[in-house]
Amino acid sequence: MTGSKESFIENFSAASNLAQLRSQGKQYLADLPVPNRKVERWKYSPITKLVNSSLSTCKGVGVVWPEEIPLNPIPFLESYRIVFKNGLYVASLSDLPVDDNVTCSPLSEINTSFENTYHKKEWVGALNATYFQDGLYLKVSKNKQLDRPIVIHHLSDGSDIASFPRHYIELENGAEAEVIVWSSAKDSASGMCNSILEAHVATNAYLKIDKVCNEGGEIFKFSHENIIQERDSKFKINTFTVKGHWVRNELEIIANGSGTDSIFNGAYMPIGKEHVDNHTIMDHAHPNGTSSELYRGIMYDKSTGVFNGKVFVRQDAQQTNAFQQNSNIVADSGATINAKPELEIYADDVKCSHGCTVGQFDTEALFYLKSRGIGTDEAKALLVKAYVDDVISAVERDEVRCEIIKLYSDRHNWE
Amino acid sequence: MLKIKNLHAQVGDTKILNGLNLEVGPGEVHAIMGPNGSGKSTLASVLSGREAYEVTEGSVDFDGVDVLDMDASDRAREGLFLAFQYPVEIPGVSNMNFMKAAINGKRAHSGLDPIKGTDFLQKVKECASLVELDGRLRDRSVNEGFSGGEKKRNEIFQMAMLEPKLAVLDETDSGLDIDALRVVSQGVNAMRSDERSFIVITHYQRLLDHIVPDYVHVLSEGQIVKSGGKELALELEEKGYDWI
Repeated sequence: MTGSKESFIENFSAASNLAQLRSQGKQYLADLPVPNRKVERWKYSPITKLVNSSLSTCKGVGVVWPEEIPLNPIPFLESYRIVFKNGLYVASLSDLPVDDNVTCSPLSEINTSFENTYHKKEWVGALNATYFQDGLYLKVSKNKQLDRPIVIHHLSDGSDIASFPRHYIELENGAEAEVIVWSSAKDSASGMCNSILEAHVATNAYLKIDKVCNEGGEIFKFSHENIIQERDSKFKINTFTVKGHWVRNELEIIANGSGTDSIFNGAYMPIGKEHVDNHTIMDHAHPNGTSSELYRGIMYDKSTGVFNGKVFVRQDAQQTNAFQQNSNIVADSGATINAKPELEIYADDVKCSHGCTVGQFDTEALFYLKSRGIGTDEAKALLVKAYVDDVISAVERDEVRCEIIKLYSDRHNWE
Repeated sequence: MLKIKNLHAQVGDTKILNGLNLEVGPGEVHAIMGPNGSGKSTLASVLSGREAYEVTEGSVDFDGVDVLDMDASDRAREGLFLAFQYPVEIPGVSNMNFMKAAINGKRAHSGLDPIKGTDFLQKVKECASLVELDGRLRDRSVNEGFSGGEKKRNEIFQMAMLEPKLAVLDETDSGLDIDALRVVSQGVNAMRSDERSFIVITHYQRLLDHIVPDYVHVLSEGQIVKSGGKELALELEEKGYDWI
């Protein structure tokens, strides 16, 4: 029998560490419904096709790295690296920091507890809690910095493989770290990658993440980031979906103290029949917090997309300053975007603004460029580059930004 | 240079040009005046290839080629330039990248290699000084946050950079103060030559004090109803369009 929850998970195997979380996951896996179109959060991202497929978790880790995919996705960046293949840690390809002030290791070697309750709310979360394989464990001590960024590189290269990465980052008071979450997949890869990243950013700490999905093949890619920010901490994430068959980025930021600052941006430009979904939640529960969100997308061909951005400003969160903007260009008549900003404001002394647009290429701007002798394709490329530049320029490191521009350029023939 | 014969054009079902005839020789400056709604800006749009305008009859021969079948970028590469009445702001595209793409588009069309960096910068410097466009404006996004006068100066700067055979100036004087009008006109006058022609579309005589035309035409209901020398503009200024 195919298509049932039971048959979908029958070939998944779980490790035995962190047993409490796994048993909770198992319980909720049985109780929670498989995402379906009747649930608003999944209305435009159905996964029937996935659930009808037969996947299994990867048993042994191969060390062969495909030639066509660079092990160092950002060639000129001086960084640490932790590598996972189909969910499993590859020690021989990793390069972890050795520093008294930093604990960095694969999650499988650590005993820790998680705070996020995603597995109690979503079936895909329960799946991860039950079957998670490995991931990054990073802890930076009080007032210390990770001296270089660390790249989490996840590769999918098998067919009909399910992988379940789970990462945990903890920054103590005043600590700083920079993480690049990069995912690659071979063109022949298929299956599912279901990933969770949980981060605790303590008082005055600063966590930066750049997240890039550049996957070939046909993978259903779920990733959920759960960020808990304490007083006066700062968090910044840029999410780039460069390439991916079916991608759902979920981001949940919980401001758990006053004076937090959260900056989150994203860009997506799907082609063909690709599907990209960005769901974000910003939860202001304390006073004096700021948040700034900018997501931009261009939908080509027959691609489909979803943007859903929720901002909560709770009753105690006075003096919150929250900004959200999502704009979309539907470049071809066969493409679709479902965009939905949601603001729930319960405090009365706040500044919140949001904007959400769906439109076509600016024909006046296009004509202006063409009237100077610039061909249609090049004119469009100039406009597209300018349009997503507001997001790309948010990436602080030149090496990372240049690589992202290069990937988009190659894919969309910008040059 | 340019031969427009019996040109009919419409937007949607609204007919705007109704059999317009005009010949512009090399080096000539033609002014086109006329009341609001007479079709002046439509003529500029049709010549430059704006897609919303449908040509239903007639021909436009530009240096031996029929431009009506060409798209806007090819017309520009053939040497046609339109200075916009309302230049478009394009956030995120720098003026310099814009001009480089334009020049190289034109060069590729003529089988030339892309312009060298140093040559490009030299040219930018020369053309910018022509219209007193300072460095700050050159480096900014195309027209973004420019004042009305700066936008029009940027149009003439672009014209100087692209060295067209024929430039159509669509109400370049609108929104200009006296100083900006002088600067813009100086830029245009510096570009005048025996080979380069201009069509200057304007409502007012004052621009023609600075850019002195060889011919003045009056457009009304989509046709040229009267043509004359530069003195015609003065007469129009005095008497209005009703006497024609």
